[in-house]
Amino acid sequence: MSRMKVFQILSVALILVGSLLIFERPAYAYADPGTGLLAVQAAGSALVATGWYLRRKIYSLFRSGDETQHEPNNQSVADGEDSPNP
Amino acid sequence: MNGPRKFFDRESALTPLDTELELTFRDPAGELRLTEGCALRRIRPAAEEETRAFLASTLRKTLEQSGELISSRIAEPGSHPCISSGEFWLEHPRIDPISYPWEWTTAQWRAAAELTLRVASQTIDAGWTLKDATPLNILFSGPRPILVDVLSFERRDPHSSVWLAYGQFVRTFLLPLVAAKYLSWPLQTTLFARDGYEPRQIHDALPRWRRMNPKLLDVVTLATVFERPGQRGAASKKTPSTTDPDLVRHVLQKRIARLGKQIRYAAGDRSHSQWSRYEKNAAHYQAADVEEKQQFVKSVLARCRPNHVLDIGANTGTYSLLAADAGASVVALDSDTAALEELWRTALDRKKPITALVADIARPTPAAGWCNREHLSLLDRLTGRFDLVLMLAVVHHLILRHQLPLTHIAGLCAALTHRWLLLEWVPPSDPMFQEWLRGRDDLYGHLTEDDLTRAFASHFHVADRAQLGNGRVLFLFDRIPT
Repeated sequence: MSRMKVFQILSVALILVGSLLIFERPAYAYADPGTGLLAVQAAGSALVATGWYLRRKIYSLFRSGDETQHEPNNQSVADGEDSPNP
Repeated sequence: MNGPRKFFDRESALTPLDTELELTFRDPAGELRLTEGCALRRIRPAAEEETRAFLASTLRKTLEQSGELISSRIAEPGSHPCISSGEFWLEHPRIDPISYPWEWTTAQWRAAAELTLRVASQTIDAGWTLKDATPLNILFSGPRPILVDVLSFERRDPHSSVWLAYGQFVRTFLLPLVAAKYLSWPLQTTLFARDGYEPRQIHDALPRWRRMNPKLLDVVTLATVFERPGQRGAASKKTPSTTDPDLVRHVLQKRIARLGKQIRYAAGDRSHSQWSRYEKNAAHYQAADVEEKQQFVKSVLARCRPNHVLDIGANTGTYSLLAADAGASVVALDSDTAALEELWRTALDRKKPITALVADIARPTPAAGWCNREHLSLLDRLTGRFDLVLMLAVVHHLILRHQLPLTHIAGLCAALTHRWLLLEWVPPSDPMFQEWLRGRDDLYGHLTEDDLTRAFASHFHVADRAQLGNGRVLFLFDRIPT
Protein backbone atom coordinates (compact mmCIF):
# COMPACT_ATOMS: atom_id res chain seq x y z
CA MET A 1 0.00 0.00 0.00
CA SER A 2 1.52 3.32 -0.99
CA ARG A 3 2.12 5.99 1.65
CA MET A 4 -0.10 8.29 -0.35
CA LYS A 5 -3.02 5.91 -0.08
CA VAL A 6 -2.57 5.44 3.66
CA PHE A 7 -2.50 9.21 4.05
CA GLN A 8 -5.65 9.48 1.96
CA ILE A 9 -7.51 6.89 4.03
CA LEU A 10 -6.52 8.41 7.35
CA SER A 11 -7.50 11.88 6.17
CA VAL A 12 -10.94 10.74 5.10
CA ALA A 13 -11.37 8.82 8.38
CA LEU A 14 -10.49 11.93 10.37
CA ILE A 15 -12.90 14.04 8.34
CA LEU A 16 -15.60 11.43 8.97
CA VAL A 17 -14.99 11.46 12.72
CA GLY A 18 -14.90 15.23 12.71
CA SER A 19 -18.13 15.46 10.75
CA LEU A 20 -19.87 13.22 13.25
CA LEU A 21 -18.82 15.46 16.10
CA ILE A 22 -19.17 18.83 14.39
CA PHE A 23 -22.21 18.65 12.10
CA GLU A 24 -24.78 18.36 14.81
CA ARG A 25 -28.56 18.37 14.77
CA PRO A 26 -30.95 19.31 17.55
CA ALA A 27 -32.26 16.32 19.56
CA TYR A 28 -35.84 16.12 20.72
CA ALA A 29 -36.90 13.50 23.23
CA TYR A 30 -39.42 13.30 26.01
CA ALA A 31 -37.16 10.86 27.86
CA ASP A 32 -34.08 12.67 29.17
CA PRO A 33 -31.13 11.60 26.96
CA GLY A 34 -28.66 12.81 29.61
CA THR A 35 -25.69 15.04 28.85
CA GLY A 36 -22.84 12.67 29.69
CA LEU A 37 -24.47 9.67 28.04
CA LEU A 38 -25.23 11.70 24.91
CA ALA A 39 -21.54 12.62 24.69
CA VAL A 40 -20.60 8.96 25.19
CA GLN A 41 -22.83 8.13 22.22
CA ALA A 42 -21.15 10.77 20.07
CA ALA A 43 -17.68 9.48 20.91
CA GLY A 44 -18.77 5.87 20.39
CA SER A 45 -20.34 6.76 17.04
CA ALA A 46 -17.09 8.36 15.88
CA LEU A 47 -15.06 5.28 16.82
CA VAL A 48 -17.45 2.84 15.17
CA ALA A 49 -17.70 5.02 12.06
CA THR A 50 -13.91 5.17 11.75
CA GLY A 51 -13.62 1.40 12.03
CA TRP A 52 -16.40 0.94 9.51
CA TYR A 53 -14.78 3.30 7.02
CA LEU A 54 -11.25 1.92 7.44
CA ARG A 55 -12.45 -1.64 7.07
CA ARG A 56 -14.24 -0.76 3.85
CA LYS A 57 -11.20 1.00 2.48
CA ILE A 58 -8.74 -1.71 3.44
CA TYR A 59 -11.05 -4.31 1.92
CA SER A 60 -11.29 -2.32 -1.29
CA LEU A 61 -7.48 -1.96 -1.54
CA PHE A 62 -7.15 -5.73 -1.85
CA ARG A 63 -9.94 -5.72 -4.40
CA SER A 64 -8.79 -2.61 -6.22
CA GLY A 65 -9.11 -4.24 -9.60
CA ASP A 66 -12.82 -4.94 -9.16
CA GLU A 67 -13.91 -2.54 -6.46
CA THR A 68 -17.56 -2.15 -7.25
CA GLN A 69 -18.13 -5.86 -7.53
CA HIS A 70 -16.39 -6.91 -4.33
CA GLU A 71 -16.90 -4.06 -1.91
CA PRO A 72 -18.60 -5.52 1.15
CA ASN A 73 -22.29 -5.06 1.39
CA ASN A 74 -23.13 -2.63 4.20
CA GLN A 75 -26.39 -4.38 4.84
CA SER A 76 -24.67 -7.68 5.62
CA VAL A 77 -22.09 -5.95 7.83
CA ALA A 78 -24.85 -4.51 9.96
CA ASP A 79 -26.96 -7.64 10.01
CA GLY A 80 -24.17 -10.10 10.66
CA GLU A 81 -21.77 -8.51 13.08
CA ASP A 82 -24.18 -6.29 14.88
CA SER A 83 -26.80 -8.74 15.90
CA PRO A 84 -27.46 -7.85 19.54
CA ASN A 85 -28.06 -11.44 20.55
CA PRO A 86 -25.59 -13.58 18.68
CA MET B 1 -58.62 -0.30 68.81
CA ASN B 2 -60.43 -1.90 65.88
CA GLY B 3 -60.80 -5.65 65.67
CA PRO B 4 -59.27 -7.37 62.65
CA ARG B 5 -62.52 -7.71 60.70
CA LYS B 6 -63.25 -4.02 61.01
CA PHE B 7 -59.64 -3.15 60.15
CA PHE B 8 -59.80 -5.03 56.86
CA ASP B 9 -63.29 -3.81 55.99
CA ARG B 10 -62.31 -0.17 56.15
CA GLU B 11 -59.09 -0.54 54.17
CA SER B 12 -59.77 0.49 50.58
CA ALA B 13 -56.64 -1.38 49.48
CA LEU B 14 -58.29 -4.65 50.41
CA THR B 15 -61.32 -4.31 48.21
CA PRO B 16 -61.03 -5.46 44.60
CA LEU B 17 -59.80 -2.71 42.32
CA ASP B 18 -62.46 -2.39 39.64
CA THR B 19 -62.55 1.34 39.01
CA GLU B 20 -61.10 2.78 35.80
CA LEU B 21 -57.53 3.93 36.34
CA GLU B 22 -55.36 6.35 34.44
CA LEU B 23 -51.95 4.76 34.77
CA THR B 24 -49.58 6.47 32.36
CA PHE B 25 -49.67 10.09 31.36
CA ARG B 26 -46.05 11.22 31.01
CA ASP B 27 -45.74 10.56 27.27
CA PRO B 28 -47.09 13.62 25.40
CA ALA B 29 -48.28 11.24 22.65
CA GLY B 30 -50.97 9.60 24.76
CA GLU B 31 -52.19 8.05 27.97
CA LEU B 32 -53.25 4.64 29.20
CA ARG B 33 -56.36 3.67 31.12
CA LEU B 34 -56.97 0.34 32.72
CA THR B 35 -60.50 -1.02 32.74
CA GLU B 36 -61.71 -4.31 34.15
CA GLY B 37 -61.69 -5.98 30.72
CA CYS B 38 -58.91 -4.28 28.76
CA ALA B 39 -56.30 -1.55 28.61
CA LEU B 40 -57.28 1.54 26.62
CA ARG B 41 -54.75 3.90 25.13
CA ARG B 42 -55.74 7.36 23.99
CA ILE B 43 -53.58 8.75 21.20
CA ARG B 44 -53.36 12.50 21.12
CA PRO B 45 -53.95 14.21 17.71
CA ALA B 46 -50.29 15.16 17.28
CA ALA B 47 -49.24 11.49 17.44
CA GLU B 48 -52.12 10.03 15.44
CA GLU B 49 -50.47 9.96 12.02
CA GLU B 50 -47.28 8.35 13.38
CA THR B 51 -49.26 5.75 15.35
CA ARG B 52 -51.43 4.81 12.38
CA ALA B 53 -48.28 4.41 10.26
CA PHE B 54 -46.78 2.12 12.89
CA LEU B 55 -49.97 0.06 13.15
CA ALA B 56 -49.89 -0.43 9.37
CA SER B 57 -46.21 -1.41 9.35
CA THR B 58 -44.70 -4.86 8.87
CA LEU B 59 -42.61 -4.20 11.96
CA ARG B 60 -45.69 -4.10 14.20
CA LYS B 61 -47.04 -7.29 12.61
CA THR B 62 -43.73 -9.10 13.09
CA LEU B 63 -43.36 -8.01 16.72
CA GLU B 64 -46.93 -8.96 17.58
CA GLN B 65 -46.59 -12.36 15.91
CA SER B 66 -43.42 -13.13 17.85
CA GLY B 67 -45.21 -12.23 21.09
CA GLU B 68 -42.71 -9.47 21.86
CA LEU B 69 -45.24 -6.64 21.53
CA ILE B 70 -48.72 -6.43 22.99
CA SER B 71 -51.47 -6.70 20.42
CA SER B 72 -53.48 -3.59 19.58
CA ARG B 73 -56.70 -2.85 17.81
CA ILE B 74 -58.40 0.46 17.12
CA ALA B 75 -61.24 0.94 19.60
CA GLU B 76 -64.61 1.78 18.11
CA PRO B 77 -66.13 5.11 19.22
CA GLY B 78 -68.74 4.40 21.87
CA SER B 79 -67.35 0.95 22.72
CA HIS B 80 -66.22 2.30 26.09
CA PRO B 81 -67.73 5.14 28.11
CA CYS B 82 -64.47 7.13 28.06
CA ILE B 83 -64.21 7.24 24.24
CA SER B 84 -65.72 10.31 22.63
CA SER B 85 -66.34 10.59 18.91
CA GLY B 86 -63.43 11.99 16.97
CA GLU B 87 -60.87 10.58 19.41
CA PHE B 88 -58.35 7.92 18.49
CA TRP B 89 -58.07 5.07 21.02
CA LEU B 90 -56.36 1.69 20.97
CA GLU B 91 -57.48 -1.36 22.89
CA HIS B 92 -55.01 -3.88 24.31
CA PRO B 93 -55.61 -7.09 26.25
CA ARG B 94 -54.96 -6.79 29.98
CA ILE B 95 -51.98 -8.53 31.48
CA ASP B 96 -52.72 -9.49 35.06
CA PRO B 97 -51.28 -8.94 37.49
CA ILE B 98 -49.11 -5.96 36.56
CA SER B 99 -45.58 -6.71 37.69
CA TYR B 100 -43.23 -3.83 38.39
CA PRO B 101 -39.44 -3.91 37.94
CA TRP B 102 -38.95 -3.64 41.71
CA GLU B 103 -40.69 -7.03 41.96
CA TRP B 104 -38.44 -8.81 39.44
CA THR B 105 -35.47 -11.05 40.00
CA THR B 106 -32.12 -10.29 38.33
CA ALA B 107 -32.85 -12.86 35.61
CA GLN B 108 -36.17 -11.16 34.86
CA TRP B 109 -34.39 -7.79 34.58
CA ARG B 110 -32.02 -9.33 32.09
CA ALA B 111 -34.86 -10.89 30.10
CA ALA B 112 -36.71 -7.55 30.01
CA ALA B 113 -33.56 -5.66 28.96
CA GLU B 114 -32.72 -8.19 26.25
CA LEU B 115 -36.27 -8.00 24.92
CA THR B 116 -35.99 -4.21 24.73
CA LEU B 117 -32.68 -4.45 22.85
CA ARG B 118 -34.03 -7.13 20.51
CA VAL B 119 -37.00 -4.94 19.65
CA ALA B 120 -34.75 -1.87 19.32
CA SER B 121 -32.52 -3.75 16.86
CA GLN B 122 -35.44 -4.87 14.68
CA THR B 123 -36.88 -1.38 14.89
CA ILE B 124 -33.68 0.21 13.59
CA ASP B 125 -33.54 -2.16 10.62
CA ALA B 126 -37.15 -1.31 9.78
CA GLY B 127 -36.48 2.45 9.75
CA TRP B 128 -38.07 3.11 13.13
CA THR B 129 -36.70 3.72 16.59
CA LEU B 130 -37.74 3.31 20.23
CA LYS B 131 -38.15 6.77 21.72
CA ASP B 132 -38.08 5.41 25.27
CA ALA B 133 -36.56 2.28 26.77
CA THR B 134 -37.43 1.65 30.40
CA PRO B 135 -38.36 -1.48 32.37
CA LEU B 136 -41.73 0.17 33.05
CA ASN B 137 -42.60 -0.51 29.39
CA ILE B 138 -42.29 -4.26 30.01
CA LEU B 139 -44.77 -6.55 31.75
CA PHE B 140 -44.48 -10.27 32.40
CA SER B 141 -47.26 -12.33 30.88
CA GLY B 142 -46.68 -15.48 32.92
CA PRO B 143 -42.90 -15.91 32.79
CA ARG B 144 -42.51 -14.17 29.40
CA PRO B 145 -41.63 -10.47 29.09
CA ILE B 146 -43.67 -8.41 26.66
CA LEU B 147 -43.34 -4.80 25.48
CA VAL B 148 -46.61 -3.03 26.21
CA ASP B 149 -45.96 0.54 25.08
CA VAL B 150 -47.06 0.91 21.47
CA LEU B 151 -46.33 4.64 21.62
CA SER B 152 -42.61 3.92 22.04
CA PHE B 153 -42.21 3.61 18.28
CA GLU B 154 -41.42 6.57 16.06
CA ARG B 155 -39.89 6.97 12.65
CA ARG B 156 -36.14 7.23 12.70
CA ASP B 157 -34.12 10.06 11.22
CA PRO B 158 -31.96 8.06 8.77
CA HIS B 159 -29.12 10.56 9.18
CA SER B 160 -28.91 10.63 12.98
CA SER B 161 -26.62 8.15 14.70
CA VAL B 162 -28.01 8.95 18.16
CA TRP B 163 -30.48 6.70 19.92
CA LEU B 164 -32.25 9.19 22.16
CA ALA B 165 -33.49 6.46 24.50
CA TYR B 166 -29.92 5.23 25.10
CA GLY B 167 -29.54 7.37 28.24
CA GLN B 168 -32.81 6.11 29.66
CA PHE B 169 -31.90 2.49 28.91
CA VAL B 170 -28.56 2.90 30.68
CA ARG B 171 -30.09 4.65 33.71
CA THR B 172 -33.09 2.37 34.14
CA PHE B 173 -31.86 -1.05 32.99
CA LEU B 174 -28.09 -1.20 33.09
CA LEU B 175 -27.06 0.91 36.08
CA PRO B 176 -29.51 -0.73 38.53
CA LEU B 177 -27.99 -4.10 37.54
CA VAL B 178 -24.47 -2.68 37.98
CA ALA B 179 -25.48 -1.28 41.39
CA ALA B 180 -26.97 -4.63 42.43
CA LYS B 181 -23.84 -6.51 41.31
CA TYR B 182 -21.11 -4.28 42.72
CA LEU B 183 -22.80 -2.21 45.41
CA SER B 184 -25.42 -4.66 46.69
CA TRP B 185 -28.14 -2.08 46.12
CA PRO B 186 -31.21 -4.33 45.84
CA LEU B 187 -33.16 -4.06 42.59
CA GLN B 188 -36.22 -3.56 44.81
CA THR B 189 -34.95 -0.05 45.68
CA THR B 190 -35.73 1.06 42.12
CA LEU B 191 -39.21 1.64 43.56
CA PHE B 192 -37.70 4.95 44.68
CA ALA B 193 -35.84 5.63 41.41
CA ARG B 194 -38.38 5.91 38.59
CA ASP B 195 -35.75 7.16 36.15
CA GLY B 196 -33.05 4.81 37.42
CA TYR B 197 -29.60 5.95 38.53
CA GLU B 198 -27.46 8.73 37.10
CA PRO B 199 -23.95 7.62 36.02
CA ARG B 200 -22.48 9.96 38.66
CA GLN B 201 -24.37 8.18 41.48
CA ILE B 202 -22.82 4.87 40.51
CA HIS B 203 -19.42 6.42 39.74
CA ASP B 204 -19.18 8.03 43.17
CA ALA B 205 -20.27 4.87 44.98
CA LEU B 206 -17.92 2.50 43.15
CA PRO B 207 -14.35 1.94 44.38
CA ARG B 208 -11.80 3.78 42.20
CA TRP B 209 -10.37 0.64 40.57
CA ARG B 210 -13.84 -0.58 39.63
CA ARG B 211 -14.58 2.68 37.77
CA MET B 212 -11.95 1.72 35.20
CA ASN B 213 -13.58 -1.61 34.36
CA PRO B 214 -13.57 -1.61 30.51
CA LYS B 215 -17.07 -3.12 30.46
CA LEU B 216 -18.47 -0.11 32.33
CA LEU B 217 -16.00 2.64 31.46
CA ASP B 218 -18.28 4.40 28.96
CA VAL B 219 -21.59 4.28 30.85
CA VAL B 220 -20.17 5.09 34.28
CA THR B 221 -16.83 6.91 34.15
CA LEU B 222 -16.87 8.63 30.74
CA ALA B 223 -20.54 9.58 31.13
CA THR B 224 -19.65 11.22 34.45
CA VAL B 225 -16.63 13.00 33.01
CA PHE B 226 -18.62 14.29 30.00
CA GLU B 227 -21.53 15.39 32.17
CA ARG B 228 -22.36 19.06 31.77
CA PRO B 229 -24.78 19.89 34.58
CA GLY B 230 -25.30 23.50 33.49
CA GLN B 231 -26.46 22.57 30.01
CA ARG B 232 -30.08 23.26 29.08
CA GLY B 233 -32.69 20.61 28.31
CA ALA B 234 -32.75 18.04 25.56
CA ALA B 235 -34.15 20.39 22.96
CA SER B 236 -30.99 22.46 22.99
CA LYS B 237 -28.63 19.49 22.73
CA LYS B 238 -26.90 18.73 19.50
CA THR B 239 -26.64 15.22 18.20
CA PRO B 240 -24.09 13.84 15.76
CA SER B 241 -25.31 13.31 12.24
CA THR B 242 -23.96 11.82 9.08
CA THR B 243 -25.26 11.62 5.57
CA ASP B 244 -24.75 7.90 5.03
CA PRO B 245 -27.83 5.95 6.23
CA ASP B 246 -25.95 2.63 6.07
CA LEU B 247 -23.26 3.97 8.37
CA VAL B 248 -25.94 5.29 10.75
CA ARG B 249 -27.60 1.90 10.90
CA HIS B 250 -24.23 0.25 11.50
CA VAL B 251 -23.42 2.65 14.35
CA LEU B 252 -26.83 2.15 15.99
CA GLN B 253 -26.64 -1.64 15.77
CA LYS B 254 -23.15 -1.61 17.25
CA ARG B 255 -24.49 0.42 20.18
CA ILE B 256 -27.32 -2.06 20.75
CA ALA B 257 -24.85 -4.95 20.59
CA ARG B 258 -22.58 -3.33 23.19
CA LEU B 259 -25.53 -2.70 25.52
CA GLY B 260 -26.44 -6.38 25.18
CA LYS B 261 -22.94 -7.39 26.27
CA GLN B 262 -23.03 -4.95 29.18
CA ILE B 263 -26.41 -6.26 30.35
CA ARG B 264 -25.18 -9.86 30.24
CA TYR B 265 -22.10 -8.84 32.20
CA ALA B 266 -24.01 -6.87 34.84
CA ALA B 267 -26.75 -9.48 35.29
CA GLY B 268 -24.04 -11.92 36.32
CA ASP B 269 -24.40 -15.51 37.40
CA ARG B 270 -27.21 -17.34 39.09
CA SER B 271 -27.57 -16.60 42.78
CA HIS B 272 -28.26 -19.08 45.55
CA SER B 273 -29.66 -18.68 49.03
CA GLN B 274 -30.70 -20.77 52.00
CA TRP B 275 -34.25 -20.82 50.61
CA SER B 276 -33.39 -21.60 47.00
CA ARG B 277 -31.97 -24.91 48.26
CA TYR B 278 -34.56 -25.29 50.99
CA GLU B 279 -36.53 -28.15 49.47
CA LYS B 280 -33.40 -30.13 48.59
CA ASN B 281 -31.91 -29.65 52.06
CA ALA B 282 -35.10 -29.82 54.15
CA ALA B 283 -34.27 -32.34 56.90
CA HIS B 284 -37.67 -31.95 58.56
CA TYR B 285 -39.38 -33.52 55.55
CA GLN B 286 -39.07 -37.21 54.76
CA ALA B 287 -39.77 -38.38 51.22
CA ALA B 288 -43.03 -39.97 52.39
CA ASP B 289 -44.21 -36.65 53.90
CA VAL B 290 -43.40 -34.81 50.68
CA GLU B 291 -45.28 -37.40 48.66
CA GLU B 292 -48.26 -37.22 51.04
CA LYS B 293 -48.31 -33.41 50.87
CA GLN B 294 -48.13 -33.37 47.08
CA GLN B 295 -50.94 -35.93 46.80
CA PHE B 296 -53.14 -33.82 49.07
CA VAL B 297 -52.40 -30.64 47.06
CA LYS B 298 -53.20 -32.50 43.84
CA SER B 299 -56.48 -33.76 45.31
CA VAL B 300 -57.39 -30.21 46.35
CA LEU B 301 -56.60 -28.90 42.84
CA ALA B 302 -58.76 -31.65 41.33
CA ARG B 303 -61.59 -30.85 43.71
CA CYS B 304 -61.48 -27.03 43.48
CA ARG B 305 -60.50 -26.75 39.78
CA PRO B 306 -59.21 -23.19 40.24
CA ASN B 307 -58.58 -20.83 37.33
CA HIS B 308 -56.50 -18.37 39.33
CA VAL B 309 -54.13 -19.45 42.09
CA LEU B 310 -51.99 -17.34 44.39
CA ASP B 311 -49.00 -19.16 45.89
CA ILE B 312 -47.70 -17.19 48.90
CA GLY B 313 -44.15 -18.19 49.86
CA ALA B 314 -43.80 -20.13 46.62
CA ASN B 315 -40.07 -20.86 47.08
CA THR B 316 -38.78 -22.70 43.98
CA GLY B 317 -42.31 -23.36 42.79
CA THR B 318 -43.12 -27.05 43.37
CA TYR B 319 -46.75 -26.28 44.21
CA SER B 320 -47.11 -23.42 41.72
CA LEU B 321 -46.15 -25.91 39.03
CA LEU B 322 -48.69 -28.44 40.30
CA ALA B 323 -51.36 -25.72 40.10
CA ALA B 324 -50.23 -24.72 36.60
CA ASP B 325 -50.26 -28.39 35.54
CA ALA B 326 -53.86 -28.52 36.78
CA GLY B 327 -54.75 -25.72 34.35
CA ALA B 328 -54.59 -22.66 36.61
CA SER B 329 -52.76 -19.41 35.96
CA VAL B 330 -50.59 -18.79 38.98
CA VAL B 331 -49.12 -15.79 40.75
CA ALA B 332 -46.16 -16.89 42.84
CA LEU B 333 -44.83 -14.63 45.61
CA ASP B 334 -41.64 -15.01 47.56
CA SER B 335 -39.30 -12.54 49.21
CA ASP B 336 -36.26 -14.71 48.41
CA THR B 337 -35.01 -13.62 44.98
CA ALA B 338 -32.75 -16.64 44.43
CA ALA B 339 -35.58 -19.12 45.08
CA LEU B 340 -37.96 -17.15 42.91
CA GLU B 341 -35.40 -16.95 40.12
CA GLU B 342 -35.34 -20.75 39.97
CA LEU B 343 -39.13 -20.78 39.84
CA TRP B 344 -39.17 -18.22 37.01
CA ARG B 345 -36.58 -20.15 34.98
CA THR B 346 -38.52 -23.39 35.39
CA ALA B 347 -41.80 -21.72 34.41
CA LEU B 348 -40.12 -20.18 31.35
CA ASP B 349 -38.51 -23.48 30.30
CA ARG B 350 -41.75 -25.41 30.73
CA LYS B 351 -43.93 -22.59 29.32
CA LYS B 352 -46.17 -22.52 32.41
CA PRO B 353 -48.48 -19.55 33.11
CA ILE B 354 -46.78 -18.53 36.33
CA THR B 355 -46.08 -14.89 37.17
CA ALA B 356 -43.22 -14.63 39.67
CA LEU B 357 -43.15 -11.59 41.95
CA VAL B 358 -40.47 -10.80 44.52
CA ALA B 359 -42.70 -9.66 47.35
CA ASP B 360 -43.16 -10.14 51.06
CA ILE B 361 -46.80 -10.65 52.00
CA ALA B 362 -46.02 -9.32 55.48
CA ARG B 363 -44.77 -6.04 53.98
CA PRO B 364 -46.49 -5.88 50.59
CA THR B 365 -45.14 -3.61 47.85
CA PRO B 366 -46.64 -0.16 48.43
CA ALA B 367 -48.33 2.06 45.88
CA ALA B 368 -45.91 4.49 44.23
CA GLY B 369 -45.56 7.26 41.72
CA TRP B 370 -47.66 10.33 41.10
CA CYS B 371 -50.36 10.74 43.80
CA ASN B 372 -49.61 7.16 44.83
CA ARG B 373 -51.87 6.04 41.95
CA GLU B 374 -49.34 5.58 39.15
CA HIS B 375 -48.05 2.22 40.36
CA LEU B 376 -50.49 0.08 42.26
CA SER B 377 -49.74 -1.58 45.56
CA LEU B 378 -49.41 -5.35 45.61
CA LEU B 379 -52.72 -5.76 47.44
CA ASP B 380 -54.47 -3.43 44.97
CA ARG B 381 -53.45 -5.88 42.27
CA LEU B 382 -54.16 -9.13 44.09
CA THR B 383 -57.20 -8.59 46.28
CA GLY B 384 -60.19 -10.75 45.42
CA ARG B 385 -58.68 -12.15 42.24
CA PHE B 386 -58.07 -15.78 43.20
CA ASP B 387 -60.13 -18.95 43.45
CA LEU B 388 -57.47 -20.63 45.55
CA VAL B 389 -54.70 -19.27 47.76
CA LEU B 390 -51.82 -21.54 48.80
CA MET B 391 -50.14 -20.72 52.12
CA LEU B 392 -47.92 -23.71 52.58
CA ALA B 393 -45.62 -23.44 55.61
CA VAL B 394 -45.94 -19.67 55.71
CA VAL B 395 -48.12 -18.96 58.75
CA HIS B 396 -45.39 -19.72 61.31
CA HIS B 397 -43.14 -17.17 59.55
CA LEU B 398 -45.86 -14.52 59.79
CA ILE B 399 -46.38 -15.29 63.49
CA LEU B 400 -42.77 -15.64 64.61
CA ARG B 401 -40.86 -13.31 62.29
CA HIS B 402 -43.47 -10.61 61.84
CA GLN B 403 -45.45 -10.97 65.08
CA LEU B 404 -48.76 -11.00 63.21
CA PRO B 405 -51.86 -12.24 65.09
CA LEU B 406 -53.66 -15.22 63.53
CA THR B 407 -56.87 -13.18 63.21
CA HIS B 408 -55.09 -10.62 61.00
CA ILE B 409 -53.65 -13.38 58.82
CA ALA B 410 -57.15 -14.85 58.43
CA GLY B 411 -58.48 -11.42 57.39
CA LEU B 412 -55.84 -11.03 54.70
CA CYS B 413 -56.49 -14.53 53.33
CA ALA B 414 -60.22 -13.78 53.17
CA ALA B 415 -59.47 -10.62 51.17
CA LEU B 416 -57.26 -12.45 48.68
CA THR B 417 -59.39 -15.50 47.88
CA HIS B 418 -63.03 -15.54 47.02
CA ARG B 419 -63.34 -19.27 47.66
CA TRP B 420 -60.56 -21.63 48.72
CA LEU B 421 -57.52 -21.45 50.98
CA LEU B 422 -55.02 -24.30 51.36
CA LEU B 423 -52.91 -23.72 54.45
CA GLU B 424 -50.14 -25.75 56.05
CA TRP B 425 -50.03 -25.51 59.81
CA VAL B 426 -46.59 -25.92 61.36
CA PRO B 427 -46.96 -26.84 65.07
CA PRO B 428 -44.63 -25.49 67.81
CA SER B 429 -42.97 -28.91 68.07
CA ASP B 430 -41.69 -28.62 64.46
CA PRO B 431 -37.93 -27.90 64.07
CA MET B 432 -38.64 -24.93 61.80
CA PHE B 433 -41.04 -23.43 64.34
CA GLN B 434 -38.44 -23.98 67.06
CA GLU B 435 -35.75 -22.32 64.91
CA TRP B 436 -37.74 -19.08 64.80
CA LEU B 437 -39.20 -19.32 68.33
CA ARG B 438 -35.96 -18.02 69.88
CA GLY B 439 -36.93 -18.15 73.52
CA ARG B 440 -40.43 -16.72 73.12
CA ASP B 441 -42.13 -19.90 74.32
CA ASP B 442 -44.51 -18.02 76.59
CA LEU B 443 -45.85 -15.99 73.71
CA TYR B 444 -46.02 -18.55 70.92
CA GLY B 445 -45.02 -21.98 72.26
CA HIS B 446 -48.61 -22.84 73.28
CA LEU B 447 -50.25 -22.27 69.85
CA THR B 448 -52.30 -25.20 68.62
CA GLU B 449 -54.23 -25.94 65.46
CA ASP B 450 -57.40 -25.17 67.44
CA ASP B 451 -56.13 -21.60 67.83
CA LEU B 452 -55.71 -21.50 64.06
CA THR B 453 -59.19 -22.81 63.20
CA ARG B 454 -60.79 -20.51 65.82
CA ALA B 455 -59.01 -17.45 64.33
CA PHE B 456 -60.09 -18.42 60.81
CA ALA B 457 -63.66 -19.37 61.79
CA SER B 458 -65.12 -15.90 61.14
CA HIS B 459 -64.06 -16.10 57.46
CA PHE B 460 -63.72 -19.80 56.63
CA HIS B 461 -64.91 -23.25 57.55
CA VAL B 462 -62.71 -26.32 57.31
CA ALA B 463 -63.52 -28.32 54.17
CA ASP B 464 -60.76 -30.92 54.50
CA ARG B 465 -57.80 -31.77 56.71
CA ALA B 466 -54.75 -34.02 56.39
CA GLN B 467 -52.12 -34.74 59.04
CA LEU B 468 -48.63 -35.47 57.71
CA GLY B 469 -46.20 -37.92 59.31
CA ASN B 470 -43.97 -35.07 60.52
CA GLY B 471 -46.80 -33.51 62.57
CA ARG B 472 -47.70 -30.74 60.13
CA VAL B 473 -51.34 -30.35 59.17
CA LEU B 474 -52.85 -29.33 55.83
CA PHE B 475 -56.19 -27.51 55.96
CA LEU B 476 -58.47 -26.81 53.05
CA PHE B 477 -60.59 -23.83 54.08
CA ASP B 478 -63.75 -22.79 52.26
CA ARG B 479 -64.62 -19.12 52.48
CA ILE B 480 -67.92 -18.24 54.15
CA PRO B 481 -69.90 -16.12 51.65
CA THR B 482 -70.28 -12.50 52.76
